[in-house]
Amino acid sequence: MAQAGKGRLNYRCPSCFMRDIDMDMFYDSERGEYYCLRCQYRGDEADVLAKNEMARFRYGAMMRRFTFED
Amino acid sequence: MDQFIVNIVHRPEMVPEYAEKVTGHGRSEDLGRKALLTESLDIFKTQQECAHKNGLKTTIQMTYASLFNEEAVQLAKEHHEKYGDEIALTLLGLPCEQFREKYRTKDFCIWMFSMEDKEAIVRDVFEKFHDAFGFYPESTGSYYMDADLINFIKAEYPSVKCAVATCWEEGPKAYHTCNNSWYTFMDGGPWAPWIPSKVNTHAPASCEAEDSGIVAIPHLSRDLLACYDGNGSNFGTHPQNVLRGMIYDTSTWEYPYLYNLIDQYRSLARYNNGYAYNMMFVGPGWMNKMGRWEQPYELLLKSYEDGCAYYGKLKKEGRLTDMTMAEFADYYREKKTYTEPECALWRDILYGSDKQLFWYCDPYLRACVNMDQGGAIVDLRPYAAKLEWPVGIGTPHIQDASYPFLIQEKYRAGYFTHYAGEGTVRSAKVCWNGEEVDLCLCRTKAHFSTGDGEKVLTMDPVEIVFDGGLRVTLQTTVTFPEGSGEILHTRKILSMSDPGESVTIREYMVGCYGTTEYTEDMSSLTLRVSAGEQTETIPYEYKCREAALDNADAVSCTLPPIKTLVTMEADCAARRGFVREGYAFSPMFTLGFDCEVKENEEVSTWLRLERAD
Repeated sequence: MAQAGKGRLNYRCPSCFMRDIDMDMFYDSERGEYYCLRCQYRGDEADVLAKNEMARFRYGAMMRRFTFED
Repeated sequence: MDQFIVNIVHRPEMVPEYAEKVTGHGRSEDLGRKALLTESLDIFKTQQECAHKNGLKTTIQMTYASLFNEEAVQLAKEHHEKYGDEIALTLLGLPCEQFREKYRTKDFCIWMFSMEDKEAIVRDVFEKFHDAFGFYPESTGSYYMDADLINFIKAEYPSVKCAVATCWEEGPKAYHTCNNSWYTFMDGGPWAPWIPSKVNTHAPASCEAEDSGIVAIPHLSRDLLACYDGNGSNFGTHPQNVLRGMIYDTSTWEYPYLYNLIDQYRSLARYNNGYAYNMMFVGPGWMNKMGRWEQPYELLLKSYEDGCAYYGKLKKEGRLTDMTMAEFADYYREKKTYTEPECALWRDILYGSDKQLFWYCDPYLRACVNMDQGGAIVDLRPYAAKLEWPVGIGTPHIQDASYPFLIQEKYRAGYFTHYAGEGTVRSAKVCWNGEEVDLCLCRTKAHFSTGDGEKVLTMDPVEIVFDGGLRVTLQTTVTFPEGSGEILHTRKILSMSDPGESVTIREYMVGCYGTTEYTEDMSSLTLRVSAGEQTETIPYEYKCREAALDNADAVSCTLPPIKTLVTMEADCAARRGFVREGYAFSPMFTLGFDCEVKENEEVSTWLRLERAD
């Protein structure tokens, strides 16, 4: 089995991101999945993107435009 | 009229941070790789174009590597002539073949070198700059500039008047975010421009004698709530940092948070005598063609273009003034006095919590008041000590440039702890009939006002309900007298359901010292309570002891490792002062007063910070 490399984009581990750790993932082309060296997360690109959306749960006002005149 | 100023800083970094590591994955390191050099300069050109097409001038901070590149030097000269950009010099971007050959190290953070190397590198870089441009720069900077470094630069190159000198709250949190590999520990400094003291960069100068001779600006303008709680590199006026935090809509590529952040900084003029400030400084590595993490190049570019466009729009509307760093230094010297504090009543603009924090900074202290905890102080840095804290190889603090705290609710717990012990916080408990309620559990909002030489934070009243039936309405006011090193807390009982009752207000501070999450040796601390001629002393030995005196004048703790004396005094007729030693599982100290009060009465307590040698 060949060594892992980087995928199309440099995805971070969504599980680590949710605990405030930026951890680059590596890509296992044989399994077609990204995996984290630090934790146990692994998933294909669609799963990574879905989990990244989940990670945004804490940003409750992410798309709100505030005014500061009041 | 309020004035909102922006410094936009670009650096032609021939080997951008991240780029060699990220885009070069799978190849051996080669700092002279032609493709890398070409792309690096292209990014700089793109950034300059983004600013100029929006009518914004920039400060071009030449890196050491770029001084060897004729095209980069020529571009800087052209842009100075054409757009009024300042040609300055950064101490970031040292890595290049020439630097490696000369200094035989992979270190690149100027504050971490030995003093001998700092002096050699500064002379080398400044003279190289002079060779290229025929003059010495007026501005410089790095992520952090320690006091010895600033003093040396100012002595050798007196033309320097402005420097990027810290990254706000970039300490253990950033280290953890980078999988414990990013050694920039620089918590505890100002978030907005300041004049560093000669002794400690983070502590502002209180007078001309302490003045280092430069105006310092922070690296980026950071979210004063999000960065305090989380990774500083996700929440600043750095469009790609916002993307790093995934704070954008993946389908529309919209990020209103970036504009909210800029606008909230703009609103800080109301607390700072009509002046507000922003700084945007994006290293080229954040805009490389390979993309950055999940973001493709197109999104990275869009975010930078949008950021510049927003500043440009504000300028066109007459709501922003763009300055170079040197111009800003002159403006700041005219605008601010040494003891005038920097204040920020900050609201959550990201999480939807509606939380408020108030940040206060002057030459004697930096404090954070948390309105979600009833106006408790949750972070406190005793600048009054003007602590000597040399950093770099050969000093006791090779990497750790943070100004030590007395209170830090994230690193040493706040109100809430697990199982046993106490966390650091300055709050009060209201006690009645065997029950006690901590004001940390009373969420409120604050209103800012300016009094005669003081800044005042007035909380909305809160209600305390005891199981025994008594209801108490109480109002907290926190006052910062300018240039005093004191914080005054006043609690007034506005009403009681039984006006004949009295309650005890237990004013307290749980403190310790340090710069990280991990405890330091507390053995050299001394606790004191005094009343008239009588004094009780507890040398800290982790024995969980307490001393208390009726009608105490003061309670205090001396902390020799940070040369700080913290004292609390109370103004109420019936009072008892106490000090508490901690124990091994709870290595803290507590200072406090119990004060009896009735309806319409109030309690005032002062917390005072002083240097103790």
